[in-house]
Amino acid sequence: MKTLLQRNTRYLLTWLPVILLICCIAFYVLMKMQAHHMQEKQLQLKQSNVWMAFVKSNGTIPRAIQGEFDIVPGILKQTTKSLSPRDTSIYLPQKNKILPFELLSSQFEWNKDKYIVSAYVSSTEISHLIIKVFITEAVILLLLLLSIVLLNKRNSQILWKPFFETLTKLKEYDVTRNESISLPDETNTKEFKELNVAFVDLIGKVNIAYYNQKQFVDNASHEMQTPLAIIRSKLELLINQPGLTESTAAQLGDITEANDKLSRMNRTLLLLAKIENNQFLNTESINFSDLLHREVSLLKKHYDDDFPTLTLSVTDDITLVANLSLLEILIHNLVINAVEHNIQGGSISINLSNSLLIIENTGLPLSQPAQTLFERFKKGSHKSRTTGLGLALVKQICVLYNYNVVYKYAHGLHKIEVTFP
Amino acid sequence: MKLLVVEDEPSLLTSILEYFTQEDFLCEGVSTFTQSLQKVEDFQYDCIILDINLPDGNGLMLLKYLRQQKKDDGVIIISARNSLDDRITGLDLGADDYLIKPFHLSELNARVKALLRRKYGKGVNLLETGNLKLDLLSRSVTCNDQQVSLTKHEFDLLTYLLNNQNRVVGKQAIAEHIYGHETENMPSFDFVYSHIKNLKKKLKETGCDELIQSVYGLGYKISV
Repeated sequence: MKTLLQRNTRYLLTWLPVILLICCIAFYVLMKMQAHHMQEKQLQLKQSNVWMAFVKSNGTIPRAIQGEFDIVPGILKQTTKSLSPRDTSIYLPQKNKILPFELLSSQFEWNKDKYIVSAYVSSTEISHLIIKVFITEAVILLLLLLSIVLLNKRNSQILWKPFFETLTKLKEYDVTRNESISLPDETNTKEFKELNVAFVDLIGKVNIAYYNQKQFVDNASHEMQTPLAIIRSKLELLINQPGLTESTAAQLGDITEANDKLSRMNRTLLLLAKIENNQFLNTESINFSDLLHREVSLLKKHYDDDFPTLTLSVTDDITLVANLSLLEILIHNLVINAVEHNIQGGSISINLSNSLLIIENTGLPLSQPAQTLFERFKKGSHKSRTTGLGLALVKQICVLYNYNVVYKYAHGLHKIEVTFP
Repeated sequence: MKLLVVEDEPSLLTSILEYFTQEDFLCEGVSTFTQSLQKVEDFQYDCIILDINLPDGNGLMLLKYLRQQKKDDGVIIISARNSLDDRITGLDLGADDYLIKPFHLSELNARVKALLRRKYGKGVNLLETGNLKLDLLSRSVTCNDQQVSLTKHEFDLLTYLLNNQNRVVGKQAIAEHIYGHETENMPSFDFVYSHIKNLKKKLKETGCDELIQSVYGLGYKISV
């Protein structure tokens, strides 16, 4: 994936040289043609001048000057194109070199005698000129190419600046924090202005939708409290009815259990909503190491013999500033998760070092994609005992305090890492 | 003992009334703020169970009124809102206890009894059933005049069952009573069973066996 600016430059760098090369070739060809034409005119002029001088002086001027002209009596063979110049080379004794010349020969008549008048012009100078002009042009084009690319790059940077500012702001935006967004509106580009307005508008709507959803969960959970309380109270009265049979008792037991799970789920949803609404404002400095020891030993007591083999390695006196009950829930849920999704005779390893809590447990591979692990009601196993909210709660607490929580699975070990800032 | 229940949800109101009538309380129930105000003006109650959200007012207003009038009726707030602020406001205004819906009636019962004991003080800190004596102040238990040493959880469990004598107390209610809201995320209540098992064993050693009965796996019961 290339960036916008890279792509722009790359495009220019691909096509501009090609165009410039074609221009160069065309320029060279045209210049060559023009030079040829000019030489032809020069030769024709020289030829007629020489002939006029010859006629005026009644044939007394020298008949030849090397490299300039010669007048030879005779008839020009019409096989070659007599009217266009030809290439030739002449040996110049003073330079001791054979040099290229252009030659134009024509038929003239004087006093009934026929003469062939040839005019010469050196090709060296003109070809040197052509090369020099061509090189100059090539250098200019190269400079042009470079400056176009540089200017374009700079221009793009200026042009796209508001876009990148908007992009940075959008990346920072987090819907769960439900904050409004302010995008720079000092841009003079109409499209970017419109883009920013559209984004602000969109985010406003997203915030409202998110707020409504949160409110819904909050309200629904609150409204459910009373019916749940009614069911619970009626069940308590029912189990105290005289003449309770075993089958009724079993059914009542099932109802009680289901109702209880519903209550737990409901309370957890309320808790989630509360964390989302940032209602846990009272934070304190907490000795996390001690808390970890306390919670783990509490859970060991809870599970009694069902608790897997535990390896606990905790660095002492690690403190965190947070809400105590939320940290309790964090540890509690992580450990319960490690116990509940363990295998028979499995093990758990808990490791706390400076800014890292690692909880590893043996267990079967996940039956669902790992990235959904922290979502609500995504249960790995179909254990009816768990609510499917435990890790969602962990995630929510981590989001609240900017802890980073990741899950990994390797060699039959599930590993959850919490990094504290 | 006279009890007033202020709760706008009729079903819940009847449940509470039924439960406490069985506990030999003299119960009255109202479902609006106005009615409750009328009642407390006219009568003196040992305990008032008060819902905060009432159709025509806030239960906390009644509490405020009671304390302004220097009435010392015990008040237990029951609320669907589990917010710390509500709880603090309630307790600041002079509520004796605060319970969040949904609660177990046995828990409410235990709280009411604890309140009444605090209120009427001396002599009632001893719970007795047959040969079993439980002293709440010294936190000691004797069975056939023999000391039984219990852990904190076992003691709490026994107290809870004794407070709800002749009633089946559910496993969930016991779990929540002993561990409070820690149990919210507990996937199982198996630990209640092991506590009961240990408690029964200790009681049996001193001759108080058959005291705690298991009721079809629903819960446990102490009968006289």
